[in-house]
Amino acid sequence: MPTIDPALPAVEAEGLSKRYGRTLAVDRLDLRIEPGEVFGFLGPNGAGKSTTLRMLLGLARPTAGRARVFGDPAEDVRAAHRHLAHVPADVALWPNLTGAEALELLANLGPGTDLGYRDELVERFDLRLDKPCRAYSTGNRQKVALVAAFATRAPLLVLDEPTSGLDPLMGREFQRCVVEAAARGQAVLLSSHVLAEVEAVCDRVGILRAGRLVQVAGLAELRRLRRHEFHLSFAGPVPAGLAAVPGVADVEVLGEGRVVLTLAGEPAPLLRAVAGDDVVQLSVREPSLEEIFLGYYGEAAR
Amino acid sequence: MSAVAAPTAPATPAVGEPGRAVTAHLVRELRRGTLVVAALLALLPPVVVVQYRETVGGELGAGALQVLATNPAIRTLFGPAVALDDPGGFTVWRTGLMTTVLVAVWALLSTVRVTRGEEDAGRWALLRAGTLPARSLLLRVAAVALAAQAVVGAALAAGLLVVGTEPAGALLHGAGTALTGAAFVMLGLACAQVLPDRRSAAGAGGAVLAVAFMARMVADGSEPFGWLRWLSPFGVLGQVRPYAADDPVPLLVLAGMALLPAVLAFVAVERRDVGAGLVRVPDERAPRTALLGSSTGFAVRRGARGWAAWTAGVAAYYLLVGLLTVSLTGFLGDNPQFASAAAEAGFTGMGSAEGYLAAVFALLAVPGGLFAASRIAADAADESAGRHVLLLSLPVSRRAQLAGHAAVLALGCTLLAALAGTAAWAGARIAGSGLGVAAGVGGALNTVPVMLVSLGAAVLAFGVLPRAVLAVGAVPAAGGFLLLVFSDTFGWPPAVRALSPYAHVAAVPVEAHDGAGAVGLLIVALLLTAAGVAAHGRRDVRA
Ligand SMILES: Nc1ncnc2c1ncn2[C@@H]1O[C@H](COP(=O)(O)OP(=O)(O)OP(=O)(O)O)[C@@H](O)[C@H]1O
Ligand SMILES: [Mg+2]
Repeated sequence: MPTIDPALPAVEAEGLSKRYGRTLAVDRLDLRIEPGEVFGFLGPNGAGKSTTLRMLLGLARPTAGRARVFGDPAEDVRAAHRHLAHVPADVALWPNLTGAEALELLANLGPGTDLGYRDELVERFDLRLDKPCRAYSTGNRQKVALVAAFATRAPLLVLDEPTSGLDPLMGREFQRCVVEAAARGQAVLLSSHVLAEVEAVCDRVGILRAGRLVQVAGLAELRRLRRHEFHLSFAGPVPAGLAAVPGVADVEVLGEGRVVLTLAGEPAPLLRAVAGDDVVQLSVREPSLEEIFLGYYGEAAR
Repeated sequence: MSAVAAPTAPATPAVGEPGRAVTAHLVRELRRGTLVVAALLALLPPVVVVQYRETVGGELGAGALQVLATNPAIRTLFGPAVALDDPGGFTVWRTGLMTTVLVAVWALLSTVRVTRGEEDAGRWALLRAGTLPARSLLLRVAAVALAAQAVVGAALAAGLLVVGTEPAGALLHGAGTALTGAAFVMLGLACAQVLPDRRSAAGAGGAVLAVAFMARMVADGSEPFGWLRWLSPFGVLGQVRPYAADDPVPLLVLAGMALLPAVLAFVAVERRDVGAGLVRVPDERAPRTALLGSSTGFAVRRGARGWAAWTAGVAAYYLLVGLLTVSLTGFLGDNPQFASAAAEAGFTGMGSAEGYLAAVFALLAVPGGLFAASRIAADAADESAGRHVLLLSLPVSRRAQLAGHAAVLALGCTLLAALAGTAAWAGARIAGSGLGVAAGVGGALNTVPVMLVSLGAAVLAFGVLPRAVLAVGAVPAAGGFLLLVFSDTFGWPPAVRALSPYAHVAAVPVEAHDGAGAVGLLIVALLLTAAGVAAHGRRDVRA
C-alpha cells in the first residue's frame, strides 16, 4: 500500500457535474469523505449515484468540476487507483476464467492484496472458485468482486450496490466485512438501496436526488433533523391553534380529545402551547430511518 | 424528476403478439447489415459491367481474356471462367467468389450474433420468457435471416439487370448468391444450438466456411479433385455458370445443403437448455494462472485461442497454395501469351511459382487485418458488456492497456504471416518446387504493414466510434483489396489506386521488397493507433 498523507481526504469532489445529452446526471456535487469513514450513498433510481462513482473512478469524464482520491486526480488512474478497490453495480467477469483465475488476475494487477485474508473471505462468502465465470450466478459474480475488493489493503473501497444479488446471509457477511475494513482504517463509499445495511454500517450518508446532493449528514443528525410524530390526548377538547405553533404540521384530530401532529425542531414551543391544557397522555415516535429516506426520495417526485 | 422519468418504450413484446414483436426485433437487429451488404452487391458488379464495356472488352479482347482465364493459378483465385466475352459473365467471374464469400461470412456471423450472441448476453431468455416456444423463436430467426438473404440476392440481380446484362444470368447469379447465404444462415443456426457460446459457434462455422472455400479452390485448381466442388456451397454455386450454361439444377443442390444444418438446428434446439449448447463445457477445472500477471499478458491470453484458429485456417490455405503451385505453374511456361495477357490484367509473373505466390500472398493481409480488427472488436464488446470495468478499476491506465493490446496484435499478425509463409514454402517443397524459404516467408511478411493499417483503423474506431470497430477495421485490409483489384482491372486513376494500402506493397517474392512503401504504411498504422489510444483514454467507458 502506498504511503499517503493522513490529512488528505479519501474522496474530494468539487462541483462535479456530468451531463448526458439533455440529462444532467450529476449536478455540481461537492463531497468530502475522510480516511477511515464509511459513507453511505443513497438516492432513488437514476439519481446519479453510479455516475458519480464512475467519475471518481475515471471511467467517465466529468462535464465540469473535479474529483480527487487521496489527493490524486481521478483521471490519473495509475495514481488514483493505487488507493482504491471497486465493486461495480453489475459485475461482469470474463466467461472463460474461473473464479480463482479472476481473483489471481485482480490481485496481480491490483493495489496489493492480503492473500491470507482473501482465502478467509472465500471461505466466509462460501465461494466456489473452480468454476468458469460463465457458470456463476449473479450473486456469485458479485462475491468474486467483493472478495477481490475486501482482500486489498486499498485505503478506499468504492462499492456500487454490492449486495443487490446476495442472499440475506451473505448480506450479513458483507456488513461484517465493511466493519472490519473500517476497523483497519479503510474508507468505504457504499452506494446502496438496502437501508438496513446503510444504517448498520455507515457513519454518514449523502442523499442524492436528480443529480443533486440534497443532504449529507451523520445518521443521528439525520434523525434529529426530521419530524417527530406526537400523539397527545387531552381531558377536554383539543386546543385550537396547535397548527400555528412553530414547527408543527400535519395536525390531525382523531376525535375525543386525541390529536396527532408532527414536529420539526425544538419541542419547547409546542409544550408551552399545551401547558395550560390537561394533557393525559403524550407519546413521541421517532421516525424510522426508512421513513426519513422515503421522505427524501418522495420529494423527488414532487 | 428522474424518479418519475418518462416511461421508455417497452423492450419486451406486448401481451398477445409476442411472435410479431420478436420478428420486429430481429428485423431491427439485421436491418443495417442487410442494407450495407445489399448496397455493396447492387453497386459493385454493375460498376464492373460498365467498366468492362468501356475498357476490357475492347482493349484486352475476349481471346486474351480466355487465355488468361484458363490459367489454373488464376482459376484458384477467381474460379473457372466460362463466359468472359459477356459483360455479365466476366463480372460473375471477376467478383462472384468475392461477393459470395462476403455474403456467406456475413450470413454466418449475423445469424450467430442474433441467436447465440443474444443468448450469451442474457436477452434470449427474455424473449423466451414470452409465450414463444424455442422452435418458433428459431423459426422466426430463420425466416428473417433468409429474407435478408433474399433481399441481398435481389439487390445483386437488380443491379445486373439495370446495367442490361442477360436476365437469366442475372437472376440465377442473384438466386445462387442468396441460396449460398441461406446455407450459411442455417449453418450459423446449427452452430448456435450445438456449441456453448458465441465464440465457439462463430469459430466452428468459420472453420466450415474456410474448408468449403478451400475445397472449391482445390477443385478448381486440380482436375482430379474436381468432385470436391460438390461438397462445397461455393463449388456448387460455380456450377450454375450464369451467362453461359445458366444451369438452375445446382441451385437445388444448394437448397439441399441448407436443409441439412437446418434440420440439425431444429432438432438440437429442443434438446438443450437456454444458455447452453448440445456440447457442454465442463463446469469445473483447476486454475491455469499463466499470463495473468499483467494486462498485456492477459491480452495475449484472451486472444490466444482466436489467433490459433485464424492462423490454423490461414496456414492450411497457404499450405494448399504451396502444394498446388507446381502443378499450376508448371504448364504455363509453354504458353508465352499468358505472360502478356496476365500482365495487362494486373497479374504479373503468373507463370512462375514466385509470381503465383506473390499474387496469393497479397490476399494474406485480408484475413490478417480482419483478425486484428476482430480482436479489437472483441475488446469493444467486452467493454460494452461491462467486462472491462474491473480491469479499468486497477492502477493500469487505459492507454497502457490498449497500447499493450495493439502491440500484442501486431506481433500476432507478424507471427501469423510468418507461419503462413512457412506453410506455403513447405507445401511448395513437398510438391517439388525450388522455392526458397526466404522467398516464402518474405513474401508473407511483406503484407504485414497492410494488416497493421487495419489494426490501426480498428484501434482508432475503438477510440472514437466503438460500435463500428470491425467495420472500420476491415476497410484497409478488405476494402483496400477490392479497390486495388478494381483499379488494376479497369485502370482507375493512380490517385484512387494509391488510396489502397495494397498499392504500396510490392509483389514479393517476384518483385523486390518496397521498403519506402512499407515504412509509409507503418507510419500510417502507428499514427492511427496512437490517435485511437489517445481518444480511447479520453472518452467515457461505455456500459
Ligand atoms: N451512459 C449514459 N448515457 C446516457 N445517460 C446516462 C448514462 N449513464 C447514466 N445516464 C443517466 O444518468 C442518470 C443517472 O444514472 P445513474 O446510473 O448514475 O443512476 P443511479 O443513481 O446509479 O441509479 P440506480 O439506483 O438505478 O443504480 C440517469 O438518468 C441515467 O439515465
Ligand atoms: Mg446505479
